[in-house]
Amino acid sequence: MEVSTTNNANGASTKSKPHHSRFTQQELPAWKPILTPGWVITSFLAIAFLFIPIGLISLFASERVVEIVYRYDQECIPEMYCDNVTGYIQSSHTNKTCIKNVTVPKKMIAPIFVYYQLDNFYQNHRRYVKSRSDKQLRSASGEFSTKGCEPEAKLGGAPIVPCGLIAWSLFNDTYSLSIEGKVIDINKKGIAWKSDTNVKFGSNVYPKNFQAGDLIGGGKLNESLPLNEQEDLIVWMRTAALPTFRKLYGKINSNLEAQDVIKVVLENNYNTYSFGGQKKLVISTTSWIGGKNDFLGIAYLTVGGICLFMALNFILLYVFKPRPLGDPSYLSWNRNSSRQ
Amino acid sequence: MSLDDAQFVNGNSQQQSVGSVDLGSKRVSHGSRGGGADSEGFSMSMSHRDINDEDSRLIYVNDALKTNERFEFAGNSIRTAKYSIFSFLPRNLFEQFHRVAYIYFLIIAILNQLPQLAVFGRGASILPLSIVLLVTAIKDAYEDWRRHRSDRIENNRMVSVLINDRFQLKKWKDIQVGEVVKFSADDTIPCDIVLLSTSDPTGVAYIQTINLDGESNLKTRYAKQETLSRVPEKDRINGLIKCEKPNRNIYGFMANMEVDGKHLSLGPSNIVLRGCVLKNTNWAVGVAVYAGSETKAMLNSSGSPSKRSRLETRMNREIILLSVFLVALCAVVSVCAGVWLIRNEDDLEIMQFYRKKDYSKLPVENYNYSGVAMEIFFTFLMSVIVFQIMIPISLYISMELVRVGQAYFMIRDDKMYDESSNSRFQCRALNINEDLGQIKYIFSDKTGTLTENKMEFKYASIFGVDYSGEKINIDDEHRGYSIQVNGQVWRPKMKVVVDKELLQLSQNGKNTEAGKKIFDFFLALAACNTIVPIVVDTSDPAEKLVDYQGESPDEQALVYAAAAYGFMLMERTSGHIVIDIQGERTRFNVLGMHEFDSDRKRMSVILGFPDGTIKVIVKGADTSMFNIIDKSVNLDIINATKSHLYSYSSIGLRTLVVGMRELGVTEFNQWQSSYETASTAVMGRVALLRKVAINLEKNIEIVGASAIEDKLQKGVPEAIESLRKADMKVWVLTGDKQETAISIGYSSKLLTSNMTQVVINSNSKMSSRQNLEDALNTYGGPESNESSLALIIDGTSLVYILDSELEEQLFQLASNCAAVLCCRVAPLQKAGIVALIKNRTDDMTLAIGDGANDVSMIQMADVGIGISGQEGRQAVMASDFAMGQFRFLVPLLLVHGHWNYQRMGYMILYNFYRNAVFVFILFWYVLFTGFTLTTAITEWSSVLYSVLYTSAPTVIIAVLDKDLSRRSLMTYPQLYGAGQRNESYNAKLFWLTIADTLWQSIVVFYVPLFAYWRSDIDGSSLGDLWTLAVVFLVNIHLAMDVFRWTWISHASIWGSIIATCVCVIIIDAIPVLPGYWAIFDLASKKSFWICLLGIQIAGVIPRFVIKMFIQHCKPSDIQIAREAEKYGNVMELSGQEIEMNPQRR
Repeated sequence: MEVSTTNNANGASTKSKPHHSRFTQQELPAWKPILTPGWVITSFLAIAFLFIPIGLISLFASERVVEIVYRYDQECIPEMYCDNVTGYIQSSHTNKTCIKNVTVPKKMIAPIFVYYQLDNFYQNHRRYVKSRSDKQLRSASGEFSTKGCEPEAKLGGAPIVPCGLIAWSLFNDTYSLSIEGKVIDINKKGIAWKSDTNVKFGSNVYPKNFQAGDLIGGGKLNESLPLNEQEDLIVWMRTAALPTFRKLYGKINSNLEAQDVIKVVLENNYNTYSFGGQKKLVISTTSWIGGKNDFLGIAYLTVGGICLFMALNFILLYVFKPRPLGDPSYLSWNRNSSRQ
Repeated sequence: MSLDDAQFVNGNSQQQSVGSVDLGSKRVSHGSRGGGADSEGFSMSMSHRDINDEDSRLIYVNDALKTNERFEFAGNSIRTAKYSIFSFLPRNLFEQFHRVAYIYFLIIAILNQLPQLAVFGRGASILPLSIVLLVTAIKDAYEDWRRHRSDRIENNRMVSVLINDRFQLKKWKDIQVGEVVKFSADDTIPCDIVLLSTSDPTGVAYIQTINLDGESNLKTRYAKQETLSRVPEKDRINGLIKCEKPNRNIYGFMANMEVDGKHLSLGPSNIVLRGCVLKNTNWAVGVAVYAGSETKAMLNSSGSPSKRSRLETRMNREIILLSVFLVALCAVVSVCAGVWLIRNEDDLEIMQFYRKKDYSKLPVENYNYSGVAMEIFFTFLMSVIVFQIMIPISLYISMELVRVGQAYFMIRDDKMYDESSNSRFQCRALNINEDLGQIKYIFSDKTGTLTENKMEFKYASIFGVDYSGEKINIDDEHRGYSIQVNGQVWRPKMKVVVDKELLQLSQNGKNTEAGKKIFDFFLALAACNTIVPIVVDTSDPAEKLVDYQGESPDEQALVYAAAAYGFMLMERTSGHIVIDIQGERTRFNVLGMHEFDSDRKRMSVILGFPDGTIKVIVKGADTSMFNIIDKSVNLDIINATKSHLYSYSSIGLRTLVVGMRELGVTEFNQWQSSYETASTAVMGRVALLRKVAINLEKNIEIVGASAIEDKLQKGVPEAIESLRKADMKVWVLTGDKQETAISIGYSSKLLTSNMTQVVINSNSKMSSRQNLEDALNTYGGPESNESSLALIIDGTSLVYILDSELEEQLFQLASNCAAVLCCRVAPLQKAGIVALIKNRTDDMTLAIGDGANDVSMIQMADVGIGISGQEGRQAVMASDFAMGQFRFLVPLLLVHGHWNYQRMGYMILYNFYRNAVFVFILFWYVLFTGFTLTTAITEWSSVLYSVLYTSAPTVIIAVLDKDLSRRSLMTYPQLYGAGQRNESYNAKLFWLTIADTLWQSIVVFYVPLFAYWRSDIDGSSLGDLWTLAVVFLVNIHLAMDVFRWTWISHASIWGSIIATCVCVIIIDAIPVLPGYWAIFDLASKKSFWICLLGIQIAGVIPRFVIKMFIQHCKPSDIQIAREAEKYGNVMELSGQEIEMNPQRR
């Protein structure tokens, strides 16, 4: 390709002098920042003074979160099934109920969130994460769009609603809590996102042929409830980002006092034994930063500290080894000549 | 046109100028074989080969049917457009997929369509490729539409064609070979036409070839005597023309014509070419011989040569490294995936998130599982698809866009606009812009490049007397020489400064011996040429100007000089000339002319004087003239002339020697018969004519010598000084004599008086070797002061040195010298010298020249620059860049070259970084998904990342950002060293960038990972966080490196951040995507904002710290100059700099 001023056919002598503008001459007004020592030190200090307080506040918020984590997958296996865990969990005749006690370490103020935590469960596995049909979930007219749901797409030619591995593997352990015989109410309404119940999951879509195959993957659904009211499913279908994840089970709207002993009645139905997964019950308060996690606070303190340190370093550097800005004697050709 | 390798007033230089280097064809050998004589001999055989039957075409005049009967010759419709509506899609796609990058794209897209490997949805996988294809296709379609339009206009122009014995208007596209065409003054010629007759009774037609070769002066073409009296309408011409096959040599044509049983020979002066314009001739009639795509003009309109820039070559090396990274990443992923599968093999069936078997069908089969080995293989391919942007395909497109932008600014730079020739800078090659910033060697032609190639008559030495005394400007005394014609005053268009004494002698001293010689001298100047006087009207009706049109500026200068001394050429036809000698009009018959050729290096005319005497007048280069001058008489005069010539050439003047001899009747008759036989010969005509000429041109009596000044172009000494300060080595390669070359060297400040000159003039290989060894022993030591040595070497010595083992010694010697001057070099030797440097160093070479003789060197050098000046356009056609003046080299290299290089270097590194950081983020995530290549970032965001989220700022900053102002770069040429030292792009910077990339990807990925570990965050939300974080970070990274913030830079950087947010929001507002509403949920959490802020700061801190540290402790020249620009006093700096510059001491 040739970029040039092409003469027109008869070589007319139109003036081809370029039109002068600041743009074509690359002389547009511009801000030319140069980071002087003052600016460098100021920016390091500014970051330090911003980051250290944020770090402290975050750390403080995380410290205030009270969290009970209780792993029950091993403890809830009756001793007689120790050698045949898979057989126990897959059988529909064994008694899965399991009763345990946990102690509240500190006072927990409502709202208190009940989560289940799965470890080593790859909800982000490529085979798994694609195995769903959002069209089908949204409206009854999409019932037959089961593309991508294999191998849980159809049952004897009829579509499975909701199809796919994600829905099929719905988590189905249940918890009920009580303190000294007094049942703690776990509110399971409103645990899913509003956007999901209102838009993403249809109010006219009812489960069909669900969990009716030979291999049961997890929980069953109430066929008389539309999908947008099946909040456990909705929560489960928001696939987790990481192989260790929590999912909201319900909310407790009353305070728990320190040293309260909570009696947990578990239905240990879900099979994590076949792949070495772990199941945990989590009861936790939250803060503005989310759950209990010191990472952000520590990270901010570290970055702030490094910046403070760098600011000091640069102050020392500028004091002990100053260099006047724009001093031509530092130009390489001038340095060479002075050496000669 | 004057070629300085001949340094001769060449009568008909056409044959010689292209001969040495056929335009466009790559016949440049590395190094020069044989030298001048050989290359010229070679050229003669090329342009004047005789026609064999098998490579000729037969044209029956005025019988297009019969002409096209046997072979279908091309019609005259031209087609520069590449595509038609139907062929556009397939052909354009075919051409686009010639690029390796696109094929990579395509293969990835195809792989993705296999169900086993479907990483992205169909739409998302094809999108990037289709965007690129679409943009390119639109660009191509637009260009092609413009070509279609101009083709249509061309094809539908009208011209008169003889049909059924009447001239009728016909469209250009319908003209066929063999038809007789008539065109009038100022008409553009529709195809290549052999002239039959013209309005001029002698059959002369004047044409302007500006569209063909850029020369604005008129050229004469002749109709043959035998056809010019025929009136085609009444007197049907039945002839047969046998001519060469179509070729691209615009200065050569070879044909025979048979009319009425007579054999005539046709040459380049009998043909007019498509694109030329008829001038000063009322009409002309001719027969079409080549039409349409076979015309010489169309054959020559080939594209510019394609070169690859140094930076791009280096970049490709790093791209190979990146592909190694890519393969490594993919290997890691697939091996890990394999290990994971083997470890969990027993559980795969029941694992809820794997479910190996499909129970819905009987018998139960594996679903999408083909065994561990196949899964590993698929994983590998899938990871190539996911990590594809590790190879920055968009970089190639960005580079093209950036180069177009840079070219736009170079073309529009008013500092590189030449007012005198009304020419802008031209970018003919679009892929080596950044090479302009890394030049180390400059090879320059002299005539027309350093000098203006506008000749001015200075001195004369007539019969041993030197007239270089007191000068008067004619304006002072009277209004120059003028003559009265029909009551009108005619005067020459250009005034010449004359010598008072010589003027008086020429006017009054007719009867003295000296006066007679002066008469002979000026008569020779006025007669022995191919100049055509054209009478031009002025505003005063009583006054007319005589404009001497000719192809050689030297000849023009001589004829104007003769006119100023009272020998005014008034009329020239093929048979006679009229010269007004001191007011007395005299008619001379031109009995014959031996045109210039570069073998003889002289021309001669045979004039019949009014008194019946016949003289041969010869004019030529001194070396060739002194061989044929009769040394038995006037030896003292010959010696005096020689010493005058020496003194003229030592002050840089171009010299010519004039001689003449009276012919006796028998000798004349002898000559005439052999001349006629030779000029109608069918075989070996050229050689025969040359033999005739050599026989005639002997025992010549010396008349005198002339000296013409070729003025230096404006600003050349300053430009050379700037380039030298920028540590570039300037070599001048010229065809001129050594003395002339040295004097130009001094006046252009290439040589200075305190330099030691090492001169190598040898006549044999032995002496060349001896000379070189002596010079190396004396000056070759590493301790010698480079700035004080100048090497002067001539073409004869180069014959023995180039392509032999002596090359190495020459290279060593030359690299110790500050200036190198090669004189008397042939065109191919010029290329040989460039190759000498190019093959031995890594340094970039640039060749600049204006003439056909520079073409080989322009094509050989890394960067070729053509001067669009006085000589033809071949140099421009072969060049990568073209400009009007030598001094524009300074802004081109120091300013634009520096910017281009810095911008491009930064852009490449930034592109590597920008894509790699994204790939690493994807890679880290893969480690947490059971190595199954799930991406948390939505597929649309991954696709749009390099296409939309981060692309615009890259290109815009690379087009607009300036590290230093034009003023600083021009004031301190040394700043150019940054490019020569590869400061903007090198292996160290690459590895630093990769390290920075790793750190930033780790920050972007792991901060959210740890912050949300064991939380209830879903994949889409975390993906959105990663998307936004990485886009913000790469844009902030760019913002940190921007030197100049114009509103456009602000708009592009902040604009793409906003565009990204908008896109992410739009993607998350689509209910059928799994990530519906994720960004809104995420943005309502404070932890998201804290993560985002923390990532940005933590990501850039290492880079910032290192940058600030280097800036303070090891500042680059550019950094200092930038600070000086803002805080320092530029004037004060420049004073100090001159004082401290070591080269100036």
